[in-house]
Amino acid sequence: MPRYRIQYSKRGSSCYISHLDLVRTLERAFRRAGLPIAFSEGFNPHPRFSFAAPLPVGVEGLAEVLEVELQEPVEHKDLAQRLNGTLPPGLAVLEVTSVPDNAPAPMATLTGAGYVVHIDADDLPGPLPEGAVQDFLDQERIEVTRKSKDGKEKIRDIRPGILKMEVLSQVSGLTVQLELKTGSTMNVRPEEVMEAFFRFTGMTLDKADLEIVRTRLF
Amino acid sequence: MEKQLDKILRRVQKPGRYSGGEWNAVRKDWQSTDVKMAFAFPDVYEVGMSHLGLQILYGMVNDREDALLERVFAPWPDMEEQLRNTGLPLTSLESRRPLRDFDIIGFTLQYELSFTNILNMLDLAGIPLRSADRAGGDYPLVVAGGPCAFNPEPIADFIDVFVIGEGEEAVNELLDAYLSARRSGEGRRDLLLRLAGCDGFYVPSLYRVEYNEQGTVHMVTPVGKNVPALVRKRVVADMDAAYFPTRMVVPAIESVHDRAMLEVQRGCTRGCRFCQAGVIYRPVREKEPQTLLRHAGELLCSTGWGEISLTSLSTSDYSRVAPLVSELIKQHGPAGVNVSLPSLRVDAFSVGLAREVQKVRRSSLTFAPEAGTQRLRDVINKGVTEDNLMEAVEAAFTAGWHSIKLYFMIGLPTETDEDLHGIANLARRVLNKGHALVRAKGRLKVTVSVSSFVPKSHTAFQWEPQNTMAELKRKQALLRDLLRGRGLVFKWHDPQSSFLEAVLSRGDRRLAPAIEAAWQNGARFDGWSEFFDLGKWQRAFESTGVDPRWYAYHRYEYNDTLPWDHISAGVSKKYLVREHRRSMEGAITPDCRNGRCPGCGLCTTLATKPYLAGGETVAPLPDTVQ
Repeated sequence: MPRYRIQYSKRGSSCYISHLDLVRTLERAFRRAGLPIAFSEGFNPHPRFSFAAPLPVGVEGLAEVLEVELQEPVEHKDLAQRLNGTLPPGLAVLEVTSVPDNAPAPMATLTGAGYVVHIDADDLPGPLPEGAVQDFLDQERIEVTRKSKDGKEKIRDIRPGILKMEVLSQVSGLTVQLELKTGSTMNVRPEEVMEAFFRFTGMTLDKADLEIVRTRLF
Repeated sequence: MEKQLDKILRRVQKPGRYSGGEWNAVRKDWQSTDVKMAFAFPDVYEVGMSHLGLQILYGMVNDREDALLERVFAPWPDMEEQLRNTGLPLTSLESRRPLRDFDIIGFTLQYELSFTNILNMLDLAGIPLRSADRAGGDYPLVVAGGPCAFNPEPIADFIDVFVIGEGEEAVNELLDAYLSARRSGEGRRDLLLRLAGCDGFYVPSLYRVEYNEQGTVHMVTPVGKNVPALVRKRVVADMDAAYFPTRMVVPAIESVHDRAMLEVQRGCTRGCRFCQAGVIYRPVREKEPQTLLRHAGELLCSTGWGEISLTSLSTSDYSRVAPLVSELIKQHGPAGVNVSLPSLRVDAFSVGLAREVQKVRRSSLTFAPEAGTQRLRDVINKGVTEDNLMEAVEAAFTAGWHSIKLYFMIGLPTETDEDLHGIANLARRVLNKGHALVRAKGRLKVTVSVSSFVPKSHTAFQWEPQNTMAELKRKQALLRDLLRGRGLVFKWHDPQSSFLEAVLSRGDRRLAPAIEAAWQNGARFDGWSEFFDLGKWQRAFESTGVDPRWYAYHRYEYNDTLPWDHISAGVSKKYLVREHRRSMEGAITPDCRNGRCPGCGLCTTLATKPYLAGGETVAPLPDTVQ
């Protein structure tokens, strides 16, 4: 069955749709568009969707990746247009390409993600010291504590996962660009980097103040 | 404010409850729309979005050019905390406008235990709770409708106007009256008088209530010209031609019932004597199968839902249900659409239907015999027999189900321990039947779920007291002992919340201070066991000098004026008295579907009549005693 790679954006009110609800939302949008998705076999068939990386609730995505198997071939342009006509506000298809049958799942080839993180001036715990980002990155290790599923706390070094960190603007608050390792080998979250960064500068940050946009997946 | 709202949305558990932007949601131009109404559901988003009435009114009002309807739901406690901390007002989902900016706020009253959420929503909107305190200012008109409006008295002080009966009939009149009043420069009181003169609109501030020394209502007197002494419910005469929303809003986060809803009929004439819905949704009005198939097609196409549920009070009673189900499966099955039947009658026919719609025997089948002995089933007029039940479970086990749920009510009038033993015996008979028929014995399960009887207004049992909490607990303990054993599961409802439900459903205007005090004590989401706290209510009753036990445990006399007697569901009180007497004799009253009229008085009072698909006049139900 034909397989398509769909690059889409998830912005505005749609960023509050959780990953599980997004699957349902997309399934319905495909249905409304009259695009027959292929379903898995078994007692509880589910649509053959495959995502590169789930987007956390509240985070906008500018170029997310989804692969879908359809029951019959559809022109790329047609697929994009029809789906755009039935997606709820905030979700939009940007590009459709074909994927060969034997291609690995998008999750398997993913290595990193780019983010833009913004904190409002009102929410900034204090002014940033000169050269803070460089000093932060110059550390040999950047340790964060993460709770695993069984509730145990684990210390991890995320420094190798920070590929890039750069201040974009300090005009109204702070805007930072990040490139982080993402995927099965190493997964670093933007909020843990920001938290570690502020801790490094001696300030505490409320993670809920972060406005996070995922700009790309690579 | 938009920005601030986004900030607090990052701090709550499920922001999708408040963000709006769902498929088929309607966003109209605020400035150029004459009348703005908010549909307020006093429970959380996932519950409210499962409600058909919301979808109907949403579609109807938004189809008008001069009006808009936006939604608002009760904020979950985490969101309430955020709103209170930041001082942001409660806003609608569509345009994110404060509720205060609307002309009309319409609450739906689906269950009594949502009353404190209404107060909380008004408060979060910055609107005075009491109707009297809104009289002076430029506040929205606060309207309420739905089943609990049939005894509106406990919340009469908080609501400006109640709509009695079916909203489709009344909502356009409400909007028109509002617009006319505005055009002619009328003030709030004039508007209320105008509405009080319309059929089915009850303006509580225009009625004076006097009480007897014994505590009952002495008299309810309308004050003002054209204010009727009796407010009659509104009924949709032609269900088949009635508006039906085929462009339903598709919730963005998973709701309790996340599927297309197709209302096959309204009303139920079985006449179970405890059932309020059976009275307030009378008469039975079936839709034609062609209409339903057309609506189903449009609905599935516009929403993309993969499941369609045939809704009504008792769906397998719909006279064309079998051909409808086959045709729906034929038309939409190939596209992967499932059909679901939420309510099953206790007979083999219904199991056959369930079998047709469920290719995979997932989950369990539920039947509601309601009482454990034939004597008590006759008292409540549940015509179902033990044979009906055994045939139904035999069909179910044979068809591959291995889990059966049985619903019963305890605390019913005249109930003795023998009836409780009857429940246990019935459950064991079902279990034994399962042992004989089910191959995977380890998976065989019979769940007995008991709720506690709550006397409701407008029913034959409206005069009856509720069992005390202690008595209900004793009965539950007895059942728990009787239902021990492999394959049996016993579930029960908290008698404390049933007690409060009885107080609120049989209450009068003197409860208002207690409801307000309970809200002040922090009562919210009382229908949710994780939040319900009778202690908050008990303190509220004490501080306001209300004895809740009197309301729940008092036996009314036939000649007492009941707090809701000035609200008419169309069924005569004489009929209810007769039904109550017959119930005490254990005499059953047949359904009017089989052609004989039991004389409930509704058709003459409301100038309406039952309608069966195809214009049939007789369509008896197979599982009832004729």
